[in-house]
Amino acid sequence: MLIRAFLSHYQRHPFQLAALMLMIVLATMLWTGVTVLTDQARSSLAQSEETVAARAHIVRTDGQPVGVEDFVRLRKTGVCVAPWLEVKRPAPEGQVIGVDPMSMACFGRSAPIQDAASLDGMPFMDIGDALRVSQEGYDSQLYLIAPRDDIELPQGYALRAFSLAPPTGELADSFLLNLDALSLLVLLITGLLIRSVYRLGLVQREASFELLYRFGVLPRRIRQLLVLELVVLTAVGVPPGLWLGASLAEALGTGFGQALGSLFDLTLYAESFGSLPWRAAVVMVALVLTVCLLEWVFPQPRQPAMVSAYARLGGGALLLAGALGVVLATELVWVFAGTALVFAGVGLLTPPLLAAVEERRSVRSGATASVADPLRRWRARELSVMFRQLALPVVALQFSIAAVLAVHALVTTFESTFEQWLGQRLAADFYIEVPQGGDSATAARRLNALEGLGTWHLVAHGKAQVRPEEAGTGADPLTADLMALTPITDLVSDWALLSSAERPWRELASGAVMVNEQLARRHDVEVGSPLELTIAGTRMRTNVVGIYADYGRPVAEVLLHADTLPAAFTPRSESFSVNKGELSRDVIHDRLADTWGAPDLQVRDNASIRELASQIFDQTFLLTRAISALTLVLAAVALLIMIWVFFTTRVWYFRLLGVWGLQGHQVRRQLRLLSVRLTLTITAAALPLGIWLTWVLVNRINPLAFGWSLPMDLYPVFWLELGLMAGAAGLLVAHLMRRQLERDANGERP
Amino acid sequence: MSGTLLAVERLNLAFVSAGQRVPVINNLTFSVAPGESLAVVGRSGSGKSTLLNLLCGLQTPDDGVIAIDNESFGNASDAVSIARWAELRRQLIGVVFQQANLMPALSLVDNVRLRTHLAGRHKQDERWWLQRLGVGDQADRYPDRVSGGQAQRAALAMVFAMSPSLILADEPTGSLDRHTADEVAESLFNVQVETGCALVLATHDSELAACCGRVLDLSAAG
Repeated sequence: MLIRAFLSHYQRHPFQLAALMLMIVLATMLWTGVTVLTDQARSSLAQSEETVAARAHIVRTDGQPVGVEDFVRLRKTGVCVAPWLEVKRPAPEGQVIGVDPMSMACFGRSAPIQDAASLDGMPFMDIGDALRVSQEGYDSQLYLIAPRDDIELPQGYALRAFSLAPPTGELADSFLLNLDALSLLVLLITGLLIRSVYRLGLVQREASFELLYRFGVLPRRIRQLLVLELVVLTAVGVPPGLWLGASLAEALGTGFGQALGSLFDLTLYAESFGSLPWRAAVVMVALVLTVCLLEWVFPQPRQPAMVSAYARLGGGALLLAGALGVVLATELVWVFAGTALVFAGVGLLTPPLLAAVEERRSVRSGATASVADPLRRWRARELSVMFRQLALPVVALQFSIAAVLAVHALVTTFESTFEQWLGQRLAADFYIEVPQGGDSATAARRLNALEGLGTWHLVAHGKAQVRPEEAGTGADPLTADLMALTPITDLVSDWALLSSAERPWRELASGAVMVNEQLARRHDVEVGSPLELTIAGTRMRTNVVGIYADYGRPVAEVLLHADTLPAAFTPRSESFSVNKGELSRDVIHDRLADTWGAPDLQVRDNASIRELASQIFDQTFLLTRAISALTLVLAAVALLIMIWVFFTTRVWYFRLLGVWGLQGHQVRRQLRLLSVRLTLTITAAALPLGIWLTWVLVNRINPLAFGWSLPMDLYPVFWLELGLMAGAAGLLVAHLMRRQLERDANGERP
Repeated sequence: MSGTLLAVERLNLAFVSAGQRVPVINNLTFSVAPGESLAVVGRSGSGKSTLLNLLCGLQTPDDGVIAIDNESFGNASDAVSIARWAELRRQLIGVVFQQANLMPALSLVDNVRLRTHLAGRHKQDERWWLQRLGVGDQADRYPDRVSGGQAQRAALAMVFAMSPSLILADEPTGSLDRHTADEVAESLFNVQVETGCALVLATHDSELAACCGRVLDLSAAG
């Protein structure tokens, strides 16, 4: 009987119970989705590192790439060495690694694979199969790997630490840090929301608890029942949330794999999601119990502590400290810490600030008596009360909107910038790879002789050792990709450079170089900086005349004119980028095929490459977009519930307006004005925070995490869209309340 | 019906409960002249509050006629009637409930200001009325910061400030202690006489009912 009396509130207000359950389910879903994806990323990266850990690879000291003849020579001299062929396939198939199990026998326990059953293509396969995959048109790279880095080698060879790509550990850690920060933001928001919905119900039940106390029920017993109720709610709400979250993670997994692949040149190894993520369940149960039971440990007055004067003072201090931290920090973790402080400060300041603004409006509307509108004043006062009483969900919604704004600005800017960048990188109609043994110089002469051909250039790819002169001779040189062009035409001269000397392309033709943003940022290279380049064993001094944007890959890259290359340089690959002009593609193909005596040339259509690349990058940010949008939905649902419940407690006063002579439609108008203004004000309050967060992402986090930055663009049209959504949410609440007012015509007096 | 402010003729209203028709107001006829006070008494559930709701158009009768200032209303609940009743409540009829007559987000004076604004009166004498009802010093406080008696006085000030022709008071002292209830009732009757408006007072308090010019017993009516 006691339990029945205890639960009578939910019998009367089943919607509140459903709302609380919904919040727990949605919050668990979101948290589970984020943690599963983050865990998967972390384990994949760990697996990647493990695969290449504690090994070395052998290089030729003359700078030429290693080949089969080197393998044979080394094995003949008794060196334990095995071929390792990496084929870079994009997700979802992903990168594969071709190995020869027989030659790895001398590796003993340090062999990356121990039996033939592991050659399932995830990622290892037999080197013969991998070679066939590479011939499907994927980039590949052959290494000769050694089990240790202390073995003796014959002359002409050297050992290098084996890394599949340029150092990605820091970048991967930064990416995971981004995800962790997003997870924490999600956890913070969900905690705030669950607490606010639970607390509202608790405040409404105070009178019945008081009555039970008068009937002789001890407060301890009431608390026990509350804990029991919460445990039951959590037990019922968390499992479906877990299942939904795991499904969400699975749905987003593909996009995430592509994100890792395109951002870090890392393969997201195939991994099953397996059983339900119980760790996420434990965190969620702990979160729900903590935020709800906190009420008993630190009972709060009806007016949340967030609006006290101390809180305002503390909020201001946190805001200032956080903002300074973000501006001055040189490490990513401190930028995140500063951002967290700013969020905490804003959270403490927003409700009292908005309440004060409405208070001021109410005073102003009463000050000029001749035009005074007491109804406007009443609405302003009601809003002021609401901002104080709904402080938690207001702040949660503000954070979510700010996050959505920032992520949208970042992603949209990235997309448009990337589009532009692809446009300049793939300016030609198509490109043709020079086949093995093909003479590019003769081909160039024959292209020159072709009447009606558009602009073209030859690109030679290779590797170079780069050392900024300011770093000193003792500093380790950095291995960078090399891109050599000839001739310089409008295919490149129209590039929008991040910074450049005067007439950079003319300077390039005279022996200067350009570097990509990644190299420039990581080694503090600027326009005018002197560089020491080692290409094919030849050391040369040059200077930087331009820095170009290079999104998507963390690899350092140097661009120079082909005439600058030393004679000993042998390109790893060469290709012609060609604008067909008045000629057809077939004519050009046939002319080159004839030159090289190779009937089937690899011709790649730039439009299709561009489309493929755009698709990959569209997927890249699907994850962050999805998480921020889901957080927004969660916060909006919570606010909707809270406003509705809050308005339900005020039904009588809307009824009173009717008693005072306002007609039904006039009362409903007041309701609409109130709810729409509430949601719009929160959106407006989120705007500065969103803009600031965009700045932090673009100018602080992105350069530190990824090595490149983006222009700071804002998207007022999206603000407008969010505003419209907020207005629609306000109208929805007003509509729900209208039904409540009609159903309960006599109202319930408080 | 000239010379009467409020005339009620053969008024009927019934609720349907568990499929049964339960009559609440049964063939009720009475009238109230300008400046007159009428106490509506009866046991709990006899329909006192329902009658007051009918008299200000918040509910519609099943049958019968209610005439206010020579304007008759039947059982029609069309948009025109609803709008007309709303106008009457705004300008002519002041309603006071047992409690919760004030907007909690507004100060006492702002409550009075809002009510007079809706009534179309712009004399800016809100503070004077609060003073007159004995709560002038509380004018800038919020309803949850004053006592129940002070809140009821403010509610009366609010109603009188709109210069109504008819006040409908539903147990206006029902939630107050005896002493405070007497004070509030005294203020109510004094100002009602001063302003010359009519008063229909629903109460189960026989002493309070005795202060009115006439008594209508719903237990005995019909």
